[in-house]
Amino acid sequence: MIFNSLTFLVFFAIVMALHHAPFFSWHQKKINLLLASYLFYAAWNPPFVILLWISTVVDWWAAQWMVRAKRERTRKLWMLTSVCVNLGMLGYFKYGGFLLDNFVHVAGALGIIYHPPGWDIVLPVGISFYTFATLSYTLDVYLRRSAPAGSFLNYALFVTFFPHLVAGPIMRPTELVPQFEEPRRARANQIGFGLALLTLGLFQKVVLADGFLAPVVEAVYDAPNKAPGMLDSWVATLAFAGQIFCDFAGYSTSAIGVALCLGFAMPDNFRFPYGAVGFSDFWRRWHITLSSWLRDYLYIPLGGNRHGQGRTYMALMGTMLLGGLWHGANWTFVVWGGLHGTYLSVERWLRGRFKGFAPGRMSLLGLAVLTFILVNITWVFFRAKTFAGASVVLKGMAGLQAKPDPLIAAGPMVIAIVIVSAIFGTHLAMRNTTLEAVVERTPSVAIAGIWTLLLFAVIIEQGQGSAFIYFAF
Amino acid sequence: MHSSTSPSERGLTGTREGALPPGLRKTAADRPGQAQPVPTRDIPLKPWARMGALVVLAVAILTSAWEWTARTRLDLRAGDIDDSPQAWAEARRAADHAQVAIVGDSRILFDTDQGRFEALTGVRPVQVAHVGTNARTLLEHFANDPNFHGLLIVGMADTMYFGMPVIGLAGNAVHNYAKNDKPSQLTGLWLDRWLQNYLAFMDSDYRLSRWAPRLDTGWRKGPDSPYEDVWKINEVFPGRQYFMWGRIETDPYLRGHARHAWQGFKGPDIPPALADKVIARSAEAVRRIRARGGDVIFIRPPSAPELRVNEQHRIPRKRGWDGLLSGANAKGIHADDLPQAQNLVLPEWSHLSRACAAVFTDAYVRRLVELTPRLKLRAEAPPPLSRADCVPRNIASL
Repeated sequence: MIFNSLTFLVFFAIVMALHHAPFFSWHQKKINLLLASYLFYAAWNPPFVILLWISTVVDWWAAQWMVRAKRERTRKLWMLTSVCVNLGMLGYFKYGGFLLDNFVHVAGALGIIYHPPGWDIVLPVGISFYTFATLSYTLDVYLRRSAPAGSFLNYALFVTFFPHLVAGPIMRPTELVPQFEEPRRARANQIGFGLALLTLGLFQKVVLADGFLAPVVEAVYDAPNKAPGMLDSWVATLAFAGQIFCDFAGYSTSAIGVALCLGFAMPDNFRFPYGAVGFSDFWRRWHITLSSWLRDYLYIPLGGNRHGQGRTYMALMGTMLLGGLWHGANWTFVVWGGLHGTYLSVERWLRGRFKGFAPGRMSLLGLAVLTFILVNITWVFFRAKTFAGASVVLKGMAGLQAKPDPLIAAGPMVIAIVIVSAIFGTHLAMRNTTLEAVVERTPSVAIAGIWTLLLFAVIIEQGQGSAFIYFAF
Repeated sequence: MHSSTSPSERGLTGTREGALPPGLRKTAADRPGQAQPVPTRDIPLKPWARMGALVVLAVAILTSAWEWTARTRLDLRAGDIDDSPQAWAEARRAADHAQVAIVGDSRILFDTDQGRFEALTGVRPVQVAHVGTNARTLLEHFANDPNFHGLLIVGMADTMYFGMPVIGLAGNAVHNYAKNDKPSQLTGLWLDRWLQNYLAFMDSDYRLSRWAPRLDTGWRKGPDSPYEDVWKINEVFPGRQYFMWGRIETDPYLRGHARHAWQGFKGPDIPPALADKVIARSAEAVRRIRARGGDVIFIRPPSAPELRVNEQHRIPRKRGWDGLLSGANAKGIHADDLPQAQNLVLPEWSHLSRACAAVFTDAYVRRLVELTPRLKLRAEAPPPLSRADCVPRNIASL
């Protein structure tokens, strides 16, 4: 089920009614939420609920046995069991075909011709997200950062809770399980603000990402045998920057709003990322729950910055390469991660080299623009399905196409430029504040007017119920 | 379940009335290597309940105004339920065990009046044709389906059937067929139809992002502007019953635009080798359907002389249509050969007006029952229709 669907509106209305009904006990309400969450997931592909159950049960027992274990080796064994089961399922469903293709290529290069049967496996929606969520539970228990959940129901609900289940924010058990321990019921203000956030998220997804930006991106990136020029390549890539932000941040904002309506708090996943100055700043603002997950469970265990410069750069690069692969089973995603790893490494070196540098206002603006441009170059590898496709767009961006084909009509191009400029300008203007602070100091009538326009735009855009891009990750 | 929280954050977890001061809104990015605490969600101090009520009221007024505009200015109407990949998949599933299924491109989709078909034969065909496609894709799709044993009517526009370089939109429909029956998609389809029975503005051709870019009438030289796209030309009713949108018959601007969008069906001549290949593949598909007890009959709906001259030039009837029937050893009905179907109204040159779709259906079904024992004309079938039943007196204005 997706947030931008009529089915979800009906589902959400029923869940809200059950959750706020006075005649259910808190225990019963949690069971209702758990069943609703399974229904939410099964509405896309019912058999894959079994994967959720496997992940839930294995990690619950792994954590239980970990705390009961007297020997360190036994604890480690249970942690590794959890890691292997979770990454095994993720590897089989998400990376099986990719690994097989690469094996065939390598074998072919060695002169061994191998024709395996087709790897026709459907990717379970959101598997990357809930795998990371459940892994953080056993890893936190193993690292003694937190104790195991006291109740299986609370833990199962943490894994399955529908607002974050299929596309994040990637929640840690310590963020959510305590919220299930005591009765929670949203007050009118929470519900009102939650619905406003849901409207904002849907506007970003339905109107901006799907309605106006996606067609501009597709005109260039899905145009086989065409050679886009500089203008078309840059506009399409900028439009993709806007599309992926509105798509993913739209989902996160909707999820936060939905959870708030039920009385639960979910963490920020985006903080005006295109207003970032530098790449470490960018990754503190973009997909925060993933970047912090990778930092805590990959970068730090790989050594982090505790073992000298060389090891730090290796840990950084390794983390970003694997982070790239997390997004999709394709070498283009690895290159995307590698580029970000390179950016972060260069930035780290520059920070060490120019320690006393304190940029002024204009320098900050220039650095923010430079960061945005460099991030856009990485998006080419994220969006293009192949390296050949990426090189065509990069060639266009560099103005190297001998006979460029104009591909984007003027009207959609102007609209895309206006939207992306507005996004970039907003992020720059709000980089040191929060949406909540801005809303609080804006007159209520203005907020109500904007809310009305956003909701009306969502209604007349109607939407096509297309899935969020990150569902595929 | 405990977690480590910095002293400044204690007491700020969960939800909080009032926006947090700058610097206190921490995220996981600020807490490396530790268990993350329950996040803080600060609620701006606003009268949210009153604002919400105001928004609901304002949106209701705006939506009502938009609905009124849709009905009175745009000529949209409730009950025009749109088509979708899920609706096609639903029809495709129904066609599995249907007595008669129709595949093809938009011409057979617009030009078949299912009600008339049923009134004449007692059988309501399952409409599985698709806009913007090569009908052969669908013919081969049915040939590969062991469940189908019925009569398959294959409607075709010759240039699309013989010369379309890519398989067209039906290719996507076939490819995604199995993916379009998920529980949430089915409930979405039902809810969407239910709403469209009451709301006229819910029309995919008049989505905000569809009509706003249409202001661009070709400002930039080179790429196709939204003006070159096919805009709304049809209405859809239950059973994927397509009919020509009435406004195309009455609005000269929209009619002119629709004609412009077809670009005269101009294009290069279809190479004989390509036509032969298409015929060979069609013959194989027909053979496979017949081998398991089904049958195939081809139909060529009419097109206006303005298009026909180009179609005929690119693939002459003898090489295309006649070659197909003889090559596939199949029966067919060409609009040229139906006396009652001559000089019907094709407002935008490619598809029949709603009234004339009934006349054409009447004409081809009466021929169909002569070609196949699978269909019989009912004893109480209505009397034949003729051109006079659909051609308006002021035909010259079209």
